[in-house]
Amino acid sequence: MAFARGSHALIYHNSAASPLDPETLFESLTAPEAGAFSAALDGSPEAPVFLHVGEEVYDLLPVPGDSAVCCLFQKVTGYYNRTRDTLDQAIMASQAKTTFLSEMSHDIRTPMGAIVGLTDIALAQEGAPTKVSECLEKIKVASGHMMSLLNEVLDMSRIESGRVQIQAEPTNIADLLHEILIVAKPQAASGGLQFVLDMGRIACENLILDAVRLKQVCLNLLSNAVKYTPKGGRIELSFAVLPAGDDTVTMHVQVKDSGIGMSREFLMKLFTPFEREEKSSVHKIQGTGLGMTITKNLVELMGGQIQVESETDKGSCFTLDIPFPAGSDPEPDGSLKGCRVLLLDSDERQAGLTLALLEELGLSCDWASSADDAVMLVNDSGILGTEYQFLLTADKLQGAEMTILLSELRGRLGPQLPILLLTASDWSQIEYVFTRSGVDGFIPLPLFKSKLAQSLSAHLGGGSRQAIAEPARCDLSGLKLLLAEDNELNREIAGELIGDAGAEIDFAEDGQQAVDMFAASGPGTYDAILMDVQMPVMNGLEATARLRSLQRPDARTVPIIAMTANAFVEDVKKSLEAGMNAHLSKPLDIDKVLSTIDGLTRGRQT
Amino acid sequence: MREYQEKYLKNLRRVYELSAIPAGLPDPREYASERALRSRELQKLKEENTAMLRRELFPLLDNIITALPGEIQNLEEFAASMNDRGMYLDLGLCWYLHNAIITYARHWGERDLLIRHLYHGAMSLFYMQEILRRAERTDHCRKMSLLFGEAASYIRQYDQIEDMETRGYIHRAMGNLALAYAGLDEADGRRKLSAIRRSLQILEDPVYHEKSPGLPWKLYITKSHQERTTALGVLRAGVADPQIQHEVMVSAEYVMDEFSRRPGGQVPLRWRYAYEAAQYHCGVRTLSYLLNWLEGVYMERDEQDYSPEGFYCNMFLPALYASYLDHSREDLYSKKYVLSFMYRRLEKYVRRMPDHQLSESTLSNLLACLQSFVEYPDGIQEKDFIMTLVVCRSPDGYAASYMAAQIARRMVKRALKDCPEALLGALGLNDAESLRAQRGSLEEFVYEACLLHNVGDMAFSNFRRRIGRSLLEEDENLIRCHVYAGAKLLSQSPSTRPYVYAALGHHRFFDGIGGYPAEYHRSEDPNVMLTDLVSAAIHLVRLMDDRGTGPDGSLPLDEALAKLRSESGTRLSPVWCGLLIKMEPELREYLRSGQAEAFQAAFRLLRG
Repeated sequence: MAFARGSHALIYHNSAASPLDPETLFESLTAPEAGAFSAALDGSPEAPVFLHVGEEVYDLLPVPGDSAVCCLFQKVTGYYNRTRDTLDQAIMASQAKTTFLSEMSHDIRTPMGAIVGLTDIALAQEGAPTKVSECLEKIKVASGHMMSLLNEVLDMSRIESGRVQIQAEPTNIADLLHEILIVAKPQAASGGLQFVLDMGRIACENLILDAVRLKQVCLNLLSNAVKYTPKGGRIELSFAVLPAGDDTVTMHVQVKDSGIGMSREFLMKLFTPFEREEKSSVHKIQGTGLGMTITKNLVELMGGQIQVESETDKGSCFTLDIPFPAGSDPEPDGSLKGCRVLLLDSDERQAGLTLALLEELGLSCDWASSADDAVMLVNDSGILGTEYQFLLTADKLQGAEMTILLSELRGRLGPQLPILLLTASDWSQIEYVFTRSGVDGFIPLPLFKSKLAQSLSAHLGGGSRQAIAEPARCDLSGLKLLLAEDNELNREIAGELIGDAGAEIDFAEDGQQAVDMFAASGPGTYDAILMDVQMPVMNGLEATARLRSLQRPDARTVPIIAMTANAFVEDVKKSLEAGMNAHLSKPLDIDKVLSTIDGLTRGRQT
Repeated sequence: MREYQEKYLKNLRRVYELSAIPAGLPDPREYASERALRSRELQKLKEENTAMLRRELFPLLDNIITALPGEIQNLEEFAASMNDRGMYLDLGLCWYLHNAIITYARHWGERDLLIRHLYHGAMSLFYMQEILRRAERTDHCRKMSLLFGEAASYIRQYDQIEDMETRGYIHRAMGNLALAYAGLDEADGRRKLSAIRRSLQILEDPVYHEKSPGLPWKLYITKSHQERTTALGVLRAGVADPQIQHEVMVSAEYVMDEFSRRPGGQVPLRWRYAYEAAQYHCGVRTLSYLLNWLEGVYMERDEQDYSPEGFYCNMFLPALYASYLDHSREDLYSKKYVLSFMYRRLEKYVRRMPDHQLSESTLSNLLACLQSFVEYPDGIQEKDFIMTLVVCRSPDGYAASYMAAQIARRMVKRALKDCPEALLGALGLNDAESLRAQRGSLEEFVYEACLLHNVGDMAFSNFRRRIGRSLLEEDENLIRCHVYAGAKLLSQSPSTRPYVYAALGHHRFFDGIGGYPAEYHRSEDPNVMLTDLVSAAIHLVRLMDDRGTGPDGSLPLDEALAKLRSESGTRLSPVWCGLLIKMEPELREYLRSGQAEAFQAAFRLLRG
């Protein structure tokens, strides 16, 4: 049989269960089927196509001509029946392989966790020989790679066996995007890449989606971009939430890189499991060849589409469009209207975005692009009586050490003013440093209106404001301290300020009493000792020496902090030589006191 | 004041005298023994002062909140007696006292006391900041500004404050907010003007005059205008901002008029300069007019005039002149001989300067000359000029550097013989043969690096000389900045630039863990092995120095070498420590006459 392409389009997309009737072959073909067949003839179908006509099975060989394509049909009924059994066996074997891999991966992953964890512990030990440290570093890299391989195999097997389910729930995309960025940006930075975020329209900030799976998809695309883009390259993440219907939006995510790209040939196999492009630049990079398959499957499970464009040595661009039901965005808090904000940010573009959002929320804002500007505006507001209700600050400022600046501003503005940090960094990593500098909370970047309003409202009056009104910013809850101070009022003040941070305090009136109290307490009773130096009966230096020489396990380790007006350099040295861990000069800066206690006791706990 | 306070102040004055540069040019050997006596007396005074503070003052500061009103009043008097219109006898202690009183006043809600000491505390920070500015540091700027700002914010309680003097402090604090903006960029210029504008608005408001008729309004206004003319520095640096130009001109005119109206009508030179310069920056006059004017007033002045006017003319005008030339390529060459003449005259002027007259502002003027130094290929080299100034400011310091330079030179010679590989890469020389061929250059490099390494200390010399007690943490932090000041000074000219790393890195430990500053990175230093060598030589001399500058006083050579051995690989490079230990006989031989030779070299240079 021969068929002309175009005018007599054909399709034989059938199976043994629904064979074609040769008499009605042409009539039975629908237009789309004809199109698909035509496409199959144009390209090179990867799998053989069988035509079932009655009991017989044919395969075909397209022969392109100038104006038509001839198809040569060959009866292959015997071959088909033989190979079908083999195919069934292969499918079963594949399923068995998936099950095996899944179970094996799971069983290997458990001890791998121990290997990774113990390697970290071993690396943290000081004084290890260089060779041992080098080996441990290599184990860490190799085990990290192995873990990711196992995780991907597990994911893939779950997808293949239909065990992955999308669990949609209301999600704030500000948080989602922030969580993606705190992983992706450092990866890009460590690879020496420029990372650009391009925010498009955000039609709705709260969506119903599976945040875990969506994050997995986005991070997979971004980490691939990092892996396959040489140093000095650029990665661009475009993000938008576009209206799609009354209650639906489409999330548009595009990850574009200037990396090594992919060949046309490989693009055809991109989503096939375990496929990796055969070129030297790819071989140097660790990967399983499963990531894109998992990504595509997850996107499709969420009802979306993934598209890819790429060119060798030019870069790749992956585009996701996923529909999600829109959640409800809360109404901005009206009480914010008219509040004055001091914004501290040297990034003009980011500051512009923040100012626009603040204005939309009805707040009035002064912008300081440098530490000097900030101090000037604070002084101006003090003189003019136009106090600020909030200080919003970036986590970095050109030419200023933020932690020092914020401590100084906190000291000048008093404990009442909420200081909120705008940051694209992982808050848990920087929280300690910034809270001890006087920061009350953080707002994730990129900045979204609802998140901004929510954070500002949370710190304006209300519950958290009560907490802010207290001068303590380091949380010392659960700590028990011994304060040795001969002056009653000093004891009272220090006790009040430190007590407000949540610590429980016992008081000693001189060094001897402090030694006695410590000796009489059970081991580990005190988390730290605050020691005045000039005291009657026994001074702080002697008391420290005595304490350190007590025969009990915590005598050598309990942190002792000198608090004294003796501020000579040699006094600091003497305190440390006597066995104290830190020296704070009087008059005391309470923030410094709290952060020193926090720092020394936190170190002990960890 | 209490007895210990009187004694403390007396001791401070004696400390200052003892730290003075010797008058005349004594015999080097006699000088060395006389210096040892002075060092002992200095040490004794410092110990006595430290003990007095520990015994009498610190217990009170320890419990400042419970101090009695009389004790606070005494502290106020003590702090005030250490400050004579900006000439602080003990700047660090002043800040410490004001800070303690601020704590007391805050706790008990003593508003007037708080305002006064916010102001005085900020002023002591300002003077510390002025010294730090020589190292391009702004460590105290914000704190100072916040203290002034807090004092100024009491303008809102103006009517409730009855004490006129306290009201005055509010106005002064408001005006002094401008002091925080000393940068030479447009942003700082605008901030400065904005602060002054706000202050002037209130100072010129008749309502306030009516409320506080006893305050010296005219003086405040004039001071504000004077401060505004200092924004000329921003214009000189090349910023062409019409608003800054305009406001500076207005203030320059105001100050000129104000002085002209005074009896005698003599306008101090700095305000005449401000007037002429403002005219130039506003386009009224040309640069050649201004340069001619500067030349005219310079030539009129006696080259041995050590009055305040003489200082300004002989020391600061060359700096101004050079900075204008630096912006005009044509004049830079046509005026070469004028500038060279000014530099030669300045050298002589500094050599003959009576020691007691070098105030902080004079020192700033001198440093400004170095900052704006124009080095012509065939003219005076900045490195020679700097060495003259170093020896003038501290012959002892120069002598120590000279000894280190001699030792460093010997180390190079010995290294080329015994371990040339230790010098590979130095001055870009990558094999032993080239190193040997360039022995002269290598020796010259380490010699000059040693002589110039501590040039930054000059910026802190006055401050250091006034310290008559153990160092406070603030003092130490400030003095440590001499490495930045040195690096900044040496980075100006081609002749000094190669030694920037020696100035920056000579206190940084070899292992990168200890010492300072963190900004010195070995990987960036193209001659890191030479910096290591220089640091080792300097450290050895410091350990043996009988000025008591070393950590363990003055050590004999064998003990100093033992100390080096213990610091090998941590503080100092093991290669150079090892070499110095091997060189013990040679060093011993050198040290027989080394110190006397060093003083001789210092005095020879001092004579000119």
